[in-house]
Amino acid sequence: MAGIFRKVYDWLLRTFWATEMDVTMIGLQNAGKTSLLRVLAGGEFAYDSIPTVGFNMKKVTRGHVTLKCWDLGGQPRFRPMWERYCRGVDAIVFIVDIADQNVLDQAKDELHALMSQASLEGIPLLVLGNKSDLPDKISVDELIDVLSLKSIGNREVSCYGISAKEETNLEAVLQWLMKFAR
Amino acid sequence: MSYGKKDEDADLGLVKVDRVQVFQEARLFNSSPIQPRRCRILLTKIALLLYTGEKFPTREATDLFFGISKLFQNKDASLRQMVHLVIKEIASSAEDIIMVTSTIMKDTGGSTDAIYRPNAIRALCRIIDATTVQSIERVMKTAIVDKNPSVSSAALVSSYHLLPIAKDVVRRWQSETQEAAASTKSSGGFSLGFSSSSGSLPVNNSTMTQYHAIGLLYQMRSHDRMALVKMVQQFSQAGTVKSPAATVMLVRLAAQLAEDDPSLRKPMMTLLDNWLRHKSEMVNFEAAKAICDMRDVTDAEVTQAVHVLQLFLSSPRHVTKFAALRILHNFASFKPQAVNVCNPDIELLISNSNRSIATFAITTLLKTGNEASVDRLMKQITGFMSEITDEFKITIVEAIRTLCLKFPSKQAGMLAFLSGILRDEGGYEFKRAVVESMFDLIKFVPDSKEDALAHLCEFIEDCEFTKLAVRILHLLGLEGPKTSQPTKYIRYIYNRVVLENAIVRAAAVTALAKFGVGQKDPEVKRSVDVLLTRCLDDVDDEVRDRAALNLRLMHDEDEMAERFIKNENMFSLPYFEHQLVMYVTSDDKDVFQSSFDISKIPVVTREQADAEDRTKKLTATTPSLKPPKAGPTKAAATGADAQASAAAAAQKYSQELMGIPELKEFGAVLKSSPVVELTEAETEYVVSVVKHIFKEHIVLQYEVKNTLPSTVLENVSVVAMPAEEEELEEVFILQAEKLETDQPGKVYVAFKKVNGEGSMPTSSFSNVLKFTVKEIDPSTNEPEDTGYDDEYEIGDLDLAGSDYVVPAFAGNFAHIWEQVGAAGEEAEETLQLSGINSIADATEQLAKTLSLQPLEGTDVPVNQTTHQLKLLGKTVSGGRVVANIRMAYSSKSGVTTKITVRAEEENVAAMVIASVA
Repeated sequence: MAGIFRKVYDWLLRTFWATEMDVTMIGLQNAGKTSLLRVLAGGEFAYDSIPTVGFNMKKVTRGHVTLKCWDLGGQPRFRPMWERYCRGVDAIVFIVDIADQNVLDQAKDELHALMSQASLEGIPLLVLGNKSDLPDKISVDELIDVLSLKSIGNREVSCYGISAKEETNLEAVLQWLMKFAR
Repeated sequence: MSYGKKDEDADLGLVKVDRVQVFQEARLFNSSPIQPRRCRILLTKIALLLYTGEKFPTREATDLFFGISKLFQNKDASLRQMVHLVIKEIASSAEDIIMVTSTIMKDTGGSTDAIYRPNAIRALCRIIDATTVQSIERVMKTAIVDKNPSVSSAALVSSYHLLPIAKDVVRRWQSETQEAAASTKSSGGFSLGFSSSSGSLPVNNSTMTQYHAIGLLYQMRSHDRMALVKMVQQFSQAGTVKSPAATVMLVRLAAQLAEDDPSLRKPMMTLLDNWLRHKSEMVNFEAAKAICDMRDVTDAEVTQAVHVLQLFLSSPRHVTKFAALRILHNFASFKPQAVNVCNPDIELLISNSNRSIATFAITTLLKTGNEASVDRLMKQITGFMSEITDEFKITIVEAIRTLCLKFPSKQAGMLAFLSGILRDEGGYEFKRAVVESMFDLIKFVPDSKEDALAHLCEFIEDCEFTKLAVRILHLLGLEGPKTSQPTKYIRYIYNRVVLENAIVRAAAVTALAKFGVGQKDPEVKRSVDVLLTRCLDDVDDEVRDRAALNLRLMHDEDEMAERFIKNENMFSLPYFEHQLVMYVTSDDKDVFQSSFDISKIPVVTREQADAEDRTKKLTATTPSLKPPKAGPTKAAATGADAQASAAAAAQKYSQELMGIPELKEFGAVLKSSPVVELTEAETEYVVSVVKHIFKEHIVLQYEVKNTLPSTVLENVSVVAMPAEEEELEEVFILQAEKLETDQPGKVYVAFKKVNGEGSMPTSSFSNVLKFTVKEIDPSTNEPEDTGYDDEYEIGDLDLAGSDYVVPAFAGNFAHIWEQVGAAGEEAEETLQLSGINSIADATEQLAKTLSLQPLEGTDVPVNQTTHQLKLLGKTVSGGRVVANIRMAYSSKSGVTTKITVRAEEENVAAMVIASVA
């Protein structure tokens, strides 16, 4: 019975108080952006996925909020285009592969370069350390240090460790994002 | 440009589309949530702008593009379709389009029956780059064999566009394409995939897919002739191909194959013949056209095609009649007798209400008509001349003009016709065409001169066009004094002085003067004198000046006056123009130090120029053995053009040779031969040679190319051993210092003529290439220090009589033939040319190997079995060489030729003949 009420309540919310928000997901190639989005949208985790050429777009609906997620390609040739898709969004999600230590420096450079853009001032940033299920990962605190997230100002910055494969901590990600729904 | 600008007053929302405004409105794309309806309208506006020729600057296009990319994955299927459509169009002008690849890929894939799937496929091929093509391979393969024709067509056309950027990947889709081409889906109307916003694909029963598939297959296999042959044969079987468009493509392909490879001609002809009986008219026409255009088509081969076209001539539909007639018209240009059978049907079309058809009918008839039918035809034309517009009249006049040149004996009738229509009402263009035809008659058909002049005199009595009057007066001045009764024309000309405006009066004065200067008859001279003296009182300066000048010239009986007034020579204009262009466009500053030297331009007599003119006019529209499309390759060989191009080539070489100090002292190059290949194109060292003839020397210029990778040739020289050592003495060899891979270099070998400057030694040379090979060290990319000497045998080279001969041009062959025959010697030879299987080929080959100029239009054979080729040239020392070649063709023995050469200098005749044998 409660379930029915719950559904009716959700439906009402969606119909009358529906809000849509744009979220951009960026990060170096092979960080797990496309896989994460697929899992967030309720799909199965896929082991073999091809590199994203350009971008993907998926909608994730939670209650009365619809998240429009732009999953951008992480290969170097697409990085100049990140800024264009980050402009005017409600939140930026930066995804890092915490099991691959070699790319952390590069990820830091890209992140700081993007954050210094004037057009993106004030947009909340969520840094996700993906692949926490793998053995060689670093911890969240280490990640914060390595990326020197503390030095990024003028916006709300958070950092979580997640695993798209094991679906750990995903709910927290969604909750964080929905804070910014207008 | 913009569609909207024309309709600014119109109140409709759609037509008032402005680029700037649309760009402003494009902010709509960024709004959230998306409003599908409004976005669709805006996209439609963008599409409208793009389709009506508006172009967005790159920055705007990129902004629009990124805006549009926000609309992706919308639930509204029509919006998605529209997005794909606009992306496809804007892709060429925007930057960073690669961004949408993944998103569009999603819409192309799977078994979705979505309406936007074909659009997505088409858009995808525009934005994808070569490296990513591989990743859409599976999607494309399934799309190609999709059961829905719209999807399949879209995939095929996209593959067609992808082929140039990703050849290897697309080639792998052959079997799928083959399947698509072979599938015979239910036939019916063709509809594009836009119908409703229902979101699912409408049913499309087109067979267009086959057309696309065959087009793609052709592109994939275009490098492999055997595969193409197999494909044509496979799809030509009855029932395999339903789409007429696809069949038309096969027809063209078959024709192309037959053209490229003579051995395929027979099977392809059989196929073409079958297609003549295809149930679609489109295919019939294409097949008939292909047969008619076939090289050296025989009468037997073409009968069926002409018959089919003849049937179409009586079709009730205008367009069918027109198409058939047009093919026949073209064909009649080079094989009139084959079109003869259609004449009764074509004659019925003369009075057709559609004037395009009527005009084509007449011109075709004029081409096919024989001498006997011309009179009847002329009568028929006269009947309806008054009913048609000037434009068609001109076409007819042009046709008659060529006819005059073709059948000089019919000139009386045609002249009567021309003078008849000259009296009719008509505009300037029409009158000009008529007058020019009469000019040509006067020039080329001497019998008609007096009559034609009389008609023209009558015409200027009442001529409203100053330009024409001036031209006619000029001609009267030129031709009048040579006629039997010059006084007759003087009266007409003086009438103009009395009655016309200043421009015509001035022209008339000049014409009058030509009667006076050098006039032997004192009576005529006195009357011209009187008339010119009267002109001294004219109100116009120009007229008075001319009269005074000419009076003065008349009284001074000297050669100068004669030369000035009756100048029969003129510059060879094509060559003159060429030289001027070369001078003006020269990059070298030194060229401008000296002024343009006009004395270097060869002077031709009027007779020569006329003869050339006639050849040009005749070959432009009269029968020849080859279809017109073979024309352009040969066109360069006519008359002065050939001289000009030969002169240009010689100039190119002479500049090069003058740059070498050792060669400079030999003087100017007298003749450079065409390039002779001494090796096959794919050997290790490719060598070709050009023979340069100097006054006392002969220089062989070898061009050597080393095709072996990672080697360097050093000190490259050629040892050329003449077989006749007593006539030629080697002077020096200029080596090529260093030849890297694929970098051509030049080696010069100079010989001295032992017997002095007049002699023309002929000899064959054996050639050996000598060089030092050094290998390149792969680690340093530098050649190694030590190499080894090597020799390489290359083909023999012949220095023949024709190397001393340059083509020359003259108007009257018979005249020169007799002249040279009287002064010089003659040589004769009968040859069997078994390797050549048509008269046309033999003509081309002989003129080339003899290095002589065909005269009197004999380079274009009219008859297939016998032909007489008349050739003229000059030796490097200036003596004339004339050749008369009779040839006969039979399918058993090939071409038999009897060559007779006459030359003014000793031994030359035999020597020239020897260069063929």
